[in-house]
Amino acid sequence: MWGAGLLNGLRISMRNMLRGPITVKYPHEKVELPERARWAVEPTYFDDGTPRCTGCLTCVRVCPDHILSVDVETREDKSKRIVRFDYEIGACMMCGLCVEACPFDAIVMGHDYELAVTDPAGLRRTLLADVEAASASKHREAKAAAQAAPERGGTDAQDGEEGKRADG
Amino acid sequence: MSPLLASVLKVAACLGLMLANGVVMIWMLRKVLGHLHLRYGPLEAGPSGVFQTTMDVLKLLTKEDVTPNAADRALYFLAPLAVFVPSLAAYAALPFAPELRAVRLDTGLLYTFAALSLVPLGILMAGWASANKWSLIGGMRAAAQQIAYEVPLLLSVLPVVMLVGSADLGRIVEAQSGVWAGFVPRWFIFDPLLLPTFVVFAVAALIETNQTPFDMSEAESELVAGFATEYSAMKFGLLFLSEFSNQFVVSALAVTLFFGGWLLPWVPESVSVALAPVTFVLKTYVGIFVLMWIRGTFPRVRIDSLLAFGWKRLIPVSLALVVIMGVVIKALPAVARVVG
Repeated sequence: MWGAGLLNGLRISMRNMLRGPITVKYPHEKVELPERARWAVEPTYFDDGTPRCTGCLTCVRVCPDHILSVDVETREDKSKRIVRFDYEIGACMMCGLCVEACPFDAIVMGHDYELAVTDPAGLRRTLLADVEAASASKHREAKAAAQAAPERGGTDAQDGEEGKRADG
Repeated sequence: MSPLLASVLKVAACLGLMLANGVVMIWMLRKVLGHLHLRYGPLEAGPSGVFQTTMDVLKLLTKEDVTPNAADRALYFLAPLAVFVPSLAAYAALPFAPELRAVRLDTGLLYTFAALSLVPLGILMAGWASANKWSLIGGMRAAAQQIAYEVPLLLSVLPVVMLVGSADLGRIVEAQSGVWAGFVPRWFIFDPLLLPTFVVFAVAALIETNQTPFDMSEAESELVAGFATEYSAMKFGLLFLSEFSNQFVVSALAVTLFFGGWLLPWVPESVSVALAPVTFVLKTYVGIFVLMWIRGTFPRVRIDSLLAFGWKRLIPVSLALVVIMGVVIKALPAVARVVG
């Protein structure tokens, strides 16, 4: 019948009106991000608060945008010190390749999505500055401790271990 | 009270109603369109954003009033007034209650349509005076479209006038009091002869008021803002306000002609009369909601198909409806007299 499509259109828009808004009132309400959401790159730390980064530069080599730069000093005894770990977030495309490449899970894609800044200086972030780089032996110790943890209870650690094995 | 003072007060009352309507309707439009599109509409200024329009009006009042160099200054200045004044004048004959209207006119219906039909002139002036291609196209479209639909709009109300025997809006409402078959209100919308008339009226009225599926003269995707492109500050405010005011007038006319005006069915007359203005305004706002519903649903039509539809379909249909009504109310009783 002529006009049936018009009436159907009206029906659909009224159905939508009764369904209620699906918009998130952003500054007042925030969505819960999915676990794997990829936003700004953040460093991770051991339980004692020291960074997990060993200064191996894998992330720097793998970054397609050349926006990570790590300045490392190596001492006589082969231990390293990270002078600066710079991250140019303004040019980051949040591909997550650096996180995938990192052999020590020393960086993660964070969930900090409110990245707008009023000063261009905010588009460069210093992730780490003037800290001791983690040694491979420290990573081995932490891994052993994490494997021992499930016996004491704590499903989170176990999940973490499974995740790592799947990745490896 | 002196007649002059009374007239001034009546005009001031109409103006106040028009401004209040504009503020409420713009807020309502944004809310209704928002919810139709699964959004919220304005939220920040006041609870549910009720003060949003007030803020917008303040903003419009304080903005710089720009006049293009090439504009025809006199016409450019006059055009918003030529749009605004007829819109205001259209309120004069609307019957809000048995005794509540600015003037009692025997030809109230004709007067209201006459006032509304001056609006395209102002729009054409605005389009021409702006010295802007988009404005000019918008103005010409307004002229073509609104003049084309003036004819079916007027023809579509003729059957009602023939049935009632008067073009006085108050008389038309009074003719709709009472009920048919014990429960159906005697509103003309429930009259099987007048239902097609209402459909023609609704389409023609939508087009006449420049509502979105038919807002060819603004058509922001094609013409920036059509005739209003070069206007800013309160001149734009007047153009905008008159558009919303026309929607109110058309909705009020639909209520008066087809939905029983101020009458409430199934209640004693004293209650109906006491609540008359409230009933009338509520019914009108329901009509405005339907206009907004249509506006939020359909995409814009093309100007050539719109004009073809008006001249080739709507005018013949409305003429046929006038003829049918004439036959039913004049010829049939005459035949019945001869036969009987």
